[in-house]
Amino acid sequence: MSNKQNLESKKQHSLQSSKNIALLLIAATLVLISFSLFSTVLTWILLLVTCGTVIRGAIYFKYYKHLPSIRTLNLLALLSILGLIYSALNAGLLFGMVNLLVLACALKLMQMRSQKDVYQLIISLFFLIGCGFIFNQSIGFSLFYGLMSLVILFSLACYHAPSIAVQKHIKTISVLSLQAFPIGLLMFLVLPQLSPLWHTPKANGASTGLSEQITPGDIAALSQSSELAFRATFENIPPIAQQRYWRAIVMEDFDGKTWKVHQYRQKMRELQLKTKQQFKPKLTGPYFDYTVIAEPTFQSWLFALDLAQPTGPRGSRNILQSSDFQLFSQQPLANKFQYEVRSYPNALSSQTLTLADKRVNLQVPEQGNKKTRDWVSHLRSQFPDNPSFIQAILRHFVDNPFVYTLRPEVMLVDPIDRFLFDNQAGFCSHYASALAYALRLGGIPSRIVTGYQGGELITNPGDSAYLSVYQYDAHAWVESWSDTTGWQRIDPTALVSPDRIEYGLRQAMLEEGSFLADSPFALARLTNIAWLNNIRLFLADLDYNWSRWVLGFNSQTQRDLFKSILGKLTPERLSMLGLGIVLIIALLLSLFFVPHWLQNRGSTTQRLYLKALNAIEKTGTQRATWQGPNAFNQQINEHYPTIVSEPFTHITQLYLRLSYQNIQDTSTSVLNVKQCHRMMRRYLTQLKTGLLKADTNRIKRT
Amino acid sequence: MLHNKLAMAIEQSCQVLIGKQPQIKLALTCLLANGHLLIEDLPGMGKTTLSHTLAKVLGLEYSRIQFTSDLLPADMLGINIFDNNEQSFRFHPGPIFNQLVLADEINRASPKTQSALLEAMEERQVSLDGETRPLPSPFFVIGTQNPSHQSGTYPLPESQLDRFLMRIQLGYPDKEAEKSMLKAQLGDGQHTVKTVMDIAEFIELQVKASQVHASDELLNYILRLVTFSRESNQFANPLSPRATKALLSSAKAWAFINNRDFLIPEDVQAVLSSVAEHRLRSASSDFSTQGSLSKILLESIDPIAA
Repeated sequence: MSNKQNLESKKQHSLQSSKNIALLLIAATLVLISFSLFSTVLTWILLLVTCGTVIRGAIYFKYYKHLPSIRTLNLLALLSILGLIYSALNAGLLFGMVNLLVLACALKLMQMRSQKDVYQLIISLFFLIGCGFIFNQSIGFSLFYGLMSLVILFSLACYHAPSIAVQKHIKTISVLSLQAFPIGLLMFLVLPQLSPLWHTPKANGASTGLSEQITPGDIAALSQSSELAFRATFENIPPIAQQRYWRAIVMEDFDGKTWKVHQYRQKMRELQLKTKQQFKPKLTGPYFDYTVIAEPTFQSWLFALDLAQPTGPRGSRNILQSSDFQLFSQQPLANKFQYEVRSYPNALSSQTLTLADKRVNLQVPEQGNKKTRDWVSHLRSQFPDNPSFIQAILRHFVDNPFVYTLRPEVMLVDPIDRFLFDNQAGFCSHYASALAYALRLGGIPSRIVTGYQGGELITNPGDSAYLSVYQYDAHAWVESWSDTTGWQRIDPTALVSPDRIEYGLRQAMLEEGSFLADSPFALARLTNIAWLNNIRLFLADLDYNWSRWVLGFNSQTQRDLFKSILGKLTPERLSMLGLGIVLIIALLLSLFFVPHWLQNRGSTTQRLYLKALNAIEKTGTQRATWQGPNAFNQQINEHYPTIVSEPFTHITQLYLRLSYQNIQDTSTSVLNVKQCHRMMRRYLTQLKTGLLKADTNRIKRT
Repeated sequence: MLHNKLAMAIEQSCQVLIGKQPQIKLALTCLLANGHLLIEDLPGMGKTTLSHTLAKVLGLEYSRIQFTSDLLPADMLGINIFDNNEQSFRFHPGPIFNQLVLADEINRASPKTQSALLEAMEERQVSLDGETRPLPSPFFVIGTQNPSHQSGTYPLPESQLDRFLMRIQLGYPDKEAEKSMLKAQLGDGQHTVKTVMDIAEFIELQVKASQVHASDELLNYILRLVTFSRESNQFANPLSPRATKALLSSAKAWAFINNRDFLIPEDVQAVLSSVAEHRLRSASSDFSTQGSLSKILLESIDPIAA
């Protein structure tokens, strides 16, 4: 007996442990998903999640047997809510809601006892995965969240049916997922693409992207990153390397050390945002058409080759252009942002220089950098006309041993003097800053433009070429005003280090070895190793296609897709399309359900008999689920008058004959199946009328 | 005509064992399905009488082995004795070489003897000193057993219980039946039973019983029952495929006795508790549910819904 009990307790134990593994898996999933939202979820909430997991682990490994009591948890929940309200008050609704969700999951994890709790937590986890996609959308994260969904489904299956083998669960889940995939894909393609209902997070990404001011003298070593800035897909041949100046921010305000965006321009831009007024310069000449997918910068600057105009319906709606040829979006880029532009590299920027423009672009601080002032005034007296004056200044960079370096010395006092005459080593901002300052001193309106220069060209046969521009491609150059040609780009860096412009930073920094020096494991550093470089290019390509086809899929692309299917978008065709899609989904679902249903439907005989049973059961006599037809018939004979029991007996007999008798044996069945069914139907109507009569009789009697 | 004989056999047996018609029918069902029968009840309930009556009524050769703890396999199977006249060993068959063997109080014998009997039951032959001797045909064992909690018993292991097609319990007769039993004893003494058929007829009946039609739907019902016993966690020992076969053949014999040539769910339900109860074991150690395991099984499955 003890042996038997042992065996049974072992069986029970294994069921229990399989359930516990499921709970542990759920806990692990919660931790992983919460930590994937690291930047959003508050640290103490993450700690609570970890605590919950530790409790689950302790119970699984039998270090501890009891869950925290409800009273403890209620107190904890109360305190947490207060803490959350405190932190969420100024952080915004989305932030608060995501944190609340994670918090609720963590507390549920600690409290989870019954089946209902487990199901609730699992549903919340799916919701949390949905939230995860608000913040992380890259391929890696999508795969991660997909995997997490599968793990959750798996643990649900394990919890629900602990006695079934793991392999069977895995099989079920993979079959279900494969069945769901085409439906999901179809939904993705055809469901209306709504813009988000919440305000996407803004502040936390301020470190990436370009900054709105530069102080070249303060920087000892320029930190670089191999993160992607944006990608541009060209419809035709992309521009040559020397033409790839991606304009982003124009800085006109200089105080002797720092360049920043002028307040006057900022006000203009705010005004423009309010009125949605476009500045539309007239641009002529050959042009490039291309599409840019910008990574989230949390700023509103956009990147385009010099002198660009937004094209396409989306471009003109969401992108504004300011009078200094900057493109900016109406909202900061919290997600990847795709837009179409057309650039005119040779366009004469023959615009008028307003008085305000002129004043802003000539303004220099009255003090400081004395050596430069003297030098410029000396040169100016030598070369009174502008072009030769500019040439003379540029010659200074060529004639002297200037060096392009990413590790300049710090120049805190009179930075331009020190750069031009003592150090003579610096990176693009130093050169641009010095040149623009000198030109302004000489009375030529000039300004600094920052952005990116270069990019890695990737050409796929049969597909349009695209350029990947990374953060380390950031660059700064000068624009000076000429009365005949308008704003002209002058890049002093190109004189000192032509390699930087033609081959990119990597080539220019070959000797110094400072390219991406502070991120030693960046794949971009390792281009010398062929297979690593191949992997890097492959990953970049994958990411590009992901951004372009999945993340970039919005209402516009959706409409394009419909157009390519339907030709012209008329309401009838759209409704046809909708109907077709519903039909396709219904078809896919029916592929799954119909065989099941056909199997369960039973034969005509059975359905007729069940109808008779239903009719009887409506009058209150329930058949015990295990009762056989004969036994039930006897019960009916005992309790009902003949007008009911007689037809029912006939139906039962016909049912028994059709279901259980040997139909092939002709000696026993004189009637064929169809005749029997007809008789069953006839008796069924008799039965129903009989039941009605019996009912009225009973009422009369009472 | 044959059916009449079957009815007569039942009627005859009923005159001896008053008020035990269902049990007699089940016992007859078991024999018609060509299976061995286990009767489990307290002493004095008519176990021996039932088997004796059946043997008489059906015209089977009958022998009885009283199992005791010192009974050896040879006592039951037979022995080779040296014959001085013929200068060779001669086999003296034991009491098992009969068509119907009553193995009385089977659980009082030692496991060794039990297993010798059970082997003979399964193989329908006896191997002794390297020689295999077939047992007569038909060959039935009716084992009787006292409830296992009585002292001096070796309970049969589950694997051997499985060899008995059916297990029935006789139970106490009701007042009316017991009264007429007493009256019968006071009157003309022992009722004599008549043999109603010969062996050839009995074998024909067996064949006919096995030809009862079982439709797909009915087979599905049996399979649902069996599968439920395997998938539910209420049964520690679910039903084996041998049990499935036993269920079908007994149900057929039951339908045949009830004069029907096709099976309906009620046939299966009628024999289910006799066929399944001794093969099932409860998963919970709670003994209170032990008695009704086949009832749990029966009531869990709807014979009509597919």
